[in-house]
Amino acid sequence: MWFMRAAEGYLFGALTPSCIETLRGVPMLIESEDERVRARLLPETYEDHESEAHWRAHAAPELERLFVARTVLVRKDLMAMRQLDFDDSGIVLMIPDSHVNAWLATLNAARLALFVLNEMTAAHFERKGLKICTPKQAEAVARIHFLAGMQEVLLGTVDHGEEEDPQTDAAASE
Amino acid sequence: MALSTRAATKEQTKTRPQTKLAAPWNIIVHDDPVTLMSYVSRVFVLVFGYAQDKAHRLMMEVHKTGRSIVWTGAREHAEVYAQKLQAHHLLTTLEVTDV
Repeated sequence: MWFMRAAEGYLFGALTPSCIETLRGVPMLIESEDERVRARLLPETYEDHESEAHWRAHAAPELERLFVARTVLVRKDLMAMRQLDFDDSGIVLMIPDSHVNAWLATLNAARLALFVLNEMTAAHFERKGLKICTPKQAEAVARIHFLAGMQEVLLGTVDHGEEEDPQTDAAASE
Repeated sequence: MALSTRAATKEQTKTRPQTKLAAPWNIIVHDDPVTLMSYVSRVFVLVFGYAQDKAHRLMMEVHKTGRSIVWTGAREHAEVYAQKLQAHHLLTTLEVTDV
């Protein structure tokens, strides 16, 4: 996968079939009715039952609506994935600047959902974690790392290489 | 004379309003092994408007000790902040202070 900063957003290219499958699964993970996913995305907030019930009745539905609204934006960008004229290395995803916040939160939610759905622990992410992973968990670790990589790009914690390659922006704006 | 006697025997009652301030609430963010550290810092900046170094310090406290009290204050405000943190999927709880 490559990425570049374009004039109006971020481009991710050379997405493998596995990457595309993972990305297309992101909205479905957020919408999962699995109680482990719902419990993590809408965690218990209060210890006492009365306050918690009030929270469930008022705050949780608002959060659910927000998650849905973000998923709509993410799905829209995923539907627009396409092959660019100047790139022969696969499908390209464009994330507009105005969608970055929605993507960041949604990617985080998807990673959390993968974590709980595959019954993983912190040990699975340690250096020797793959030794204790089932094949399904190992696949989930790879997907979680891939989505983390996208988050890091959007967070700006990855060098965009703009200083080293002044052609990047020009190419992206074509 | 009669008036002064009545005045002397009149029972004087005063009421003093009893006011008690509501206890402040803590917002606690808990560690999870999935969420990126840089993402947590960013959310603290976004939600609370904290400076980068304060956001980083709180994030490190979450990471090293498993939890951090990231804000303390009135319950209504705490609920708004907690909802915003949960909107970004940080594991957040509310608890009343011991005061």
